[in-house]
Amino acid sequence: MIRLENIHKFFGSHEVLKGISGEISQGEVLAIIGPSGSGKSTLIRTINLLDPPTSGKIYIDGTCITEGSVDVGKIRTKMGMVFQQFNLFPHMTTLENVAYAPIKVKKLPRQEALNLGKILLQKVGLEDKEKTYPPQLSGGQKQRAAIARALAMEPEAILFDEPTSSLDPEMVKEVLNVMKGLAHTGITMIVVTHEMGFAREVADRVWFLDAGQLIEDSPSHTFFREPRTRRAYEFLEKVL
Amino acid sequence: MGLDFERILPSIPYILQGIPVTLAYTSVSLFFGFIWGALLALCKVSHLTFLKWVAVFYTSIFRGTPLLLQLTLIYFATPQLVGYNISIWEAGILAFTLNSAAYISEHFRAGIGAVDKGQTEAALSLGIPYSLMMKDIILPQAIRNILPSLVNESIDLLKESALISVIGGADILKRATIVANEKYIFFEPLLVAGALYYVLVMVLTCMAHLIEKKLKTS
Repeated sequence: MIRLENIHKFFGSHEVLKGISGEISQGEVLAIIGPSGSGKSTLIRTINLLDPPTSGKIYIDGTCITEGSVDVGKIRTKMGMVFQQFNLFPHMTTLENVAYAPIKVKKLPRQEALNLGKILLQKVGLEDKEKTYPPQLSGGQKQRAAIARALAMEPEAILFDEPTSSLDPEMVKEVLNVMKGLAHTGITMIVVTHEMGFAREVADRVWFLDAGQLIEDSPSHTFFREPRTRRAYEFLEKVL
Repeated sequence: MGLDFERILPSIPYILQGIPVTLAYTSVSLFFGFIWGALLALCKVSHLTFLKWVAVFYTSIFRGTPLLLQLTLIYFATPQLVGYNISIWEAGILAFTLNSAAYISEHFRAGIGAVDKGQTEAALSLGIPYSLMMKDIILPQAIRNILPSLVNESIDLLKESALISVIGGADILKRATIVANEKYIFFEPLLVAGALYYVLVMVLTCMAHLIEKKLKTS
């Protein structure tokens, strides 16, 4: 579904991604892990062109999205994104946050979008927070609302950029549980994470990044049992 | 020094009638200045260099010359330039709007800049087009950010609207000077005018405090 070809990304003269290639198939759950500064977040942000790659090609369902002529907005509606800092719209209620894009971008009738929003909020366990504004939600609730918002566009894939990294420890689990519930329902999930437990249990595959390079691409059960590279082995030694 | 308010007592209602005039100039100009200022700010944050340049140049002109000059230029030069006999009201509204928009656009620009970058990213990731993102996501938050400075802008405008008396607008100040010239006493009517402006400004200041307090708690 998503294919990366030799992705390079420079910030000024600093090369953050040094030629990354790989493929993610429909319905797969991919965990991207690696030490801080390895380029994980940058990589996931290049996929929906929030940080367009300096060079290299990205294909979504066979269409090259890094060529000038594509409608970036349309591509992005196929790929939801969940951010580390939630980025909910603070001046809209939780339900409005979820229903806004379906109404305005997908042109769904308002009532239909609101119903969809209610169903999704129920799915993430926030049915009693429909009329609450984001500043009144806890971190875990915010992130679950953000997941519902991404789901509302019925994307083919969701990109999770460190979704639990700014949460208090006791709230990590509720978010991970929602993510677990999504896995293997047909939606493609690409998750940048430090949650090794989640990567091991839920992900089908792991990409291990180090210093801007994809140095290991393995099924998650083999990756955690016997990593092929020394660098990955050392990393797992430290975090597990 | 012998203040004698009794002599101007019959004229006080006449001066008081200047309040709605002053408020009308202030509020109408503020309304249009707000819209025009927001549009200018959108130009300033746009990626189109030409629009950005025009908006920046516009702002520098209106902030770089005296408002009194702008007002008199509009009032006296318009008939000569385009042959339209512009009224005092039109000239006043036009000058105050164009001028306050320059200042308001700077507040707006700062307010837009203060909205978290994550908001833009979230909007983009949902495929929300730029115009909708600005209208529904960024500007409502920017307006919230700049509400206190907008009230300050309205205070400035309220006081500066007294310039309309120079071209004959019957606002508070003009009426006070008319009374002064008529009765040939100056201190009392001008003092009344000053007191009126002061009270109006204080009301706005209290509003600014209330808004700031409310923003802080929510």
